[in-house]
Amino acid sequence: MPLLDLRHLSKSYPQTNGILRVIEDISATVEEGEFIAIVGPSGCGKSTLLRIVNGIVPISSGQVLYKGRQVDGINLECAMVFQSFALMPWLTVEDNIELPLDAMGVPLAERRRRTGLYIDKVGLDGFEEAYPRELSGGMKQRVGLARALAVEPKLLLMDEPFSALDALTAISLREELLDIWRLPDSPVHTILLVTHIIEEAIELADRILVLSAGPGRVLADLQVDLPRPRDRRSEAFNMLVDKVFSLIEERS
Amino acid sequence: MKTTIINSRKLFTGTLSFLILAAILALFYAYREHTGVLHAPRFSVSARELPYYAFCSFYRMLAAYALALIFSIVYGLAAARGPAWERVMIPAIDIAQSVPVVGFFPAAVYFFVALAHGSRLGVEFAAIFLIFTSQAWNMALGVFESAKTIPADSIEVLQSFGINGWLKLKCLLLPACVPKLVYNSILSWVAGWYFLIACEIITVGPTHYRLPGLGSYLMEAADRGRSGEIVAGLLTLLAIIVAMDFLIWQPLSIWSEKFRYEFAASSPQTEAIAAIAALNRLGPSILRGARKVMLTISGPIRRFGERLPRVNLAAHPRFTLALRRVRTVVLLGLIGFMVYVVIVGVIALFRTLAQPWPAEARLIPAATGASIARLVVAYLISLAWIIPCTLAASSNPRLRQQLASVAEIVGSVPATALFPLIVMFVIKVTGGMNLASILLILTGMQWYLLFNLLAGVSQIPEDLKEAARSFGLSRVGTWRKLVLPAITPSLITGSITAWGGGWNALILSEYFVYQNHTYEVLGLGALLDSATYRTGNSVMILLSLLSMVAVVLVLNRLVWRKLYNVATERYRLDY
Repeated sequence: MPLLDLRHLSKSYPQTNGILRVIEDISATVEEGEFIAIVGPSGCGKSTLLRIVNGIVPISSGQVLYKGRQVDGINLECAMVFQSFALMPWLTVEDNIELPLDAMGVPLAERRRRTGLYIDKVGLDGFEEAYPRELSGGMKQRVGLARALAVEPKLLLMDEPFSALDALTAISLREELLDIWRLPDSPVHTILLVTHIIEEAIELADRILVLSAGPGRVLADLQVDLPRPRDRRSEAFNMLVDKVFSLIEERS
Repeated sequence: MKTTIINSRKLFTGTLSFLILAAILALFYAYREHTGVLHAPRFSVSARELPYYAFCSFYRMLAAYALALIFSIVYGLAAARGPAWERVMIPAIDIAQSVPVVGFFPAAVYFFVALAHGSRLGVEFAAIFLIFTSQAWNMALGVFESAKTIPADSIEVLQSFGINGWLKLKCLLLPACVPKLVYNSILSWVAGWYFLIACEIITVGPTHYRLPGLGSYLMEAADRGRSGEIVAGLLTLLAIIVAMDFLIWQPLSIWSEKFRYEFAASSPQTEAIAAIAALNRLGPSILRGARKVMLTISGPIRRFGERLPRVNLAAHPRFTLALRRVRTVVLLGLIGFMVYVVIVGVIALFRTLAQPWPAEARLIPAATGASIARLVVAYLISLAWIIPCTLAASSNPRLRQQLASVAEIVGSVPATALFPLIVMFVIKVTGGMNLASILLILTGMQWYLLFNLLAGVSQIPEDLKEAARSFGLSRVGTWRKLVLPAITPSLITGSITAWGGGWNALILSEYFVYQNHTYEVLGLGALLDSATYRTGNSVMILLSLLSMVAVVLVLNRLVWRKLYNVATERYRLDY
């Protein structure tokens, strides 16, 4: 049984002149332990798809099956990393990471343990008492990542997590993400990542879901078999990049 | 076609809200008949009693502010819940804000005194209620705006982690409101002092009630011509205001910066706060001290909370159902109560207006014209000195800062505190009530204009000024092409608030009892006051108040709102 099973998902919003269709008839599965990237041009509903999986956005039609069952409302076994970090400016790094644990009713000692552990894992040691505004973009996203990891989710959702960072910071953060994911004691095994950067998807993911421009439909479901660590300059890598490019180009 | 629909709807909501207001007003006066007259002994004006009077005034302010704070948070957050809530609750605030509050003081006195069975407590309640109405609206709007502008991702992150209820309030909603709440609290205290003094003055002058406090002390002292005591009273008031600013508002402003979202980091407000932080060395240590106290108090409570077994009440369907039922009952009860008030009020309104109208009712149109003329003169006088100052400040940043700091100090002194002094001198020297009344209106108007225009000037982008300089525009040319258009929106918002202050000042300034002699001029405020304090004719009170509210609302809708829309559309500083 797949961890996540999306069946004929559609999402539309009523507007003053007609309706806006964001997603149309998307079906896909996510197996436990997979790293899946969703790629598509802007406005293809990929972020909406992620929010549907999390349960923040209700679907118009179709089914979201998690472990074979339909989830009512928010799926608390998921955790999301946001493009804009979405940290509370008035909470310290530590308090930001503790916030969801507090909501879940995790006891104090365990909260402290996990906060310390993941602060260490993402390399934020020494910044526990800092406020988000005192951190650089890369450090902020580390907090966002630690906050999601501390939940120890079955499924990690990442919404363009590296898009708001400069290119060099993005490169090192991607590597760190892979390092954390591949460790045997990693808290998360399954990752669903949304991005508009094709190279990023190919570098990170086992499988790539290519979406068309709005309304989003699945254009292709590609297996990425390149050996890890992946070399961005290799011929195989670039051929795959070209392939995804032409898939998107053809349809828009 | 579309515009006429919108206009008729606007007309409908306007009429409806006016009716509701009139109904509530009439209800106030319906209580009047049961009021006995309260005579209090004249109290001493010795400077030795000043601490007691200061304490009286201060606790009134504190009570009103506590009420306003609770109200604004509940109301603001409720209004931000959704478009349906917003559509009803925000226009209601709009109306409440544009009503001249001082006019309601006599009404409130009658109402609360009747409610308190004729004891002094009623007058106290009335004063606190009035101060509350001068403080609550802008704070509630501030909370509403903050809640509305919380970035979508912050809300989503809480949703995605399943955070709701109290934790959401504690971690997101309340902190997000802090900067605007602190900023508006400062403004509210300035407004509150103004109305507190006004209430206390009214109780000494025309009515038989006595409210011990700084305002009544000042008025009594002026009445007996004791200028030494007046100065002592003014200094006491100033000392309280300055001390509060230094010990409470400045540290709070610095603290509130922590709760700001980063994209608003370089607002002029922040700039001003940085300047404060540099000046007030005491600020940080006060903050640290307050933090220590809070931590010692909250620490044990928090540890106790940790030890309690965690029960997720929201998970129990029975509990959620019960909660929903309670909520529905409370909401229906509130709506029912409002409907009841409006119905009873409308009946009272028509019963009052059905009585024979007194002869003075014919004076209302002329009085309205005279009052508006007085306001226009005061407004023009304010503009005549403020616009040149603003233009000069626009090309000289140092002058701008000096002006701003002087204005901040002078503007924070409630103009009403100067009323006794102005009356004493102007009436003694010129004997003309007309001049005195225009001067009094001026003191209630000008600061709003100056504050808004100076803020507007500081918001003109530096690169536009540089561009003007590099293209060799003359000083006058820069004023005409850049500064004047750029400050137009601030001029309009400043004018709206200035006229709001003006209407309030009008009621105090057209009718004055000084040394047992009544000075009055033809005007709406004078009609209202003399009907309230002299003849006690409720038809006349209601008629003059209603025409004043109607004139204010019509002016707001037809003149200011339109000007505001044009100004913000054409003279916005982004492209």
